[in-house]
Amino acid sequence: MSFLYFVLGSLIIGLLVGKYSSFHFGNLYEVMLYLLIFIIGVDLGKSKGIKEIRELGKIALLLPLATVVGSLMGGLLASFLLGLRIKWALAVSAGFGWYSLTGPLLAQYSTVYGVIGFLANLTREILTILFYPIAIKKIPKELAVSMGGATTMDSTLPVLVKFGGSEITIIAFVHGFILTAIAPFLIPLIIQF
Amino acid sequence: MNIFIPLLAGIIFGYLFRRRININLDKPMSATLLLLIFFMGVEAGRVEINAVDIFISSLTFAVLTILGSLFFAVVLGGRVR
Repeated sequence: MSFLYFVLGSLIIGLLVGKYSSFHFGNLYEVMLYLLIFIIGVDLGKSKGIKEIRELGKIALLLPLATVVGSLMGGLLASFLLGLRIKWALAVSAGFGWYSLTGPLLAQYSTVYGVIGFLANLTREILTILFYPIAIKKIPKELAVSMGGATTMDSTLPVLVKFGGSEITIIAFVHGFILTAIAPFLIPLIIQF
Repeated sequence: MNIFIPLLAGIIFGYLFRRRININLDKPMSATLLLLIFFMGVEAGRVEINAVDIFISSLTFAVLTILGSLFFAVVLGGRVR
């Protein structure tokens, strides 16, 4: 949770610098983005998540599939409610809670959608932390993992395990791992259309 | 499509050297991320943004993507339980 304060601090300082100064950072933004994407790739490449997917069986693939379809349908509904272009709404929702990827990726094309992508996915993570304990009173705890999207392999995992029990650790990790592998491909793909 | 190049390069590099990469990638990832978000903030600061509209849009997306995920998880996942 403390890293979240650094993230919000960076965003607020950046907003203030952008609003009240005329500093120009050249193409540092793009350099950082490509560097981050490369590091994410290295992390995925050396991860052992694939071995755990095999061990879990059918539910390992069905749950992330449900999260992908459900998130995109939610994004589609949001585009109608808010009057936004479908392409951008789908791209925002394809972040699956991974705000640090979605925001910068979308900001490459549109600053406003970059900020929406960042905040919408950050809010998804926060709402998961707040409402997972309530959701599991109505929905089976392993299925309720889907609300966390890609964050279930790291930032929301401790909350899920605390309230859902240690038996959902692997399913939550694999769910987050698969979505983490999908998001960096799906967001740029949607933006191309 | 540029984004796929560093991503695929990273995945291949990570897979090929998975036994040799012993360093924890959390710290370089966090440092890059904080700088990236700072630069994103700088860009956003230069644009006139209606904070209330952005907040409402973000909240709508967050709630609907969560509800959509839960709905399909119950529909699809409920069959294999």
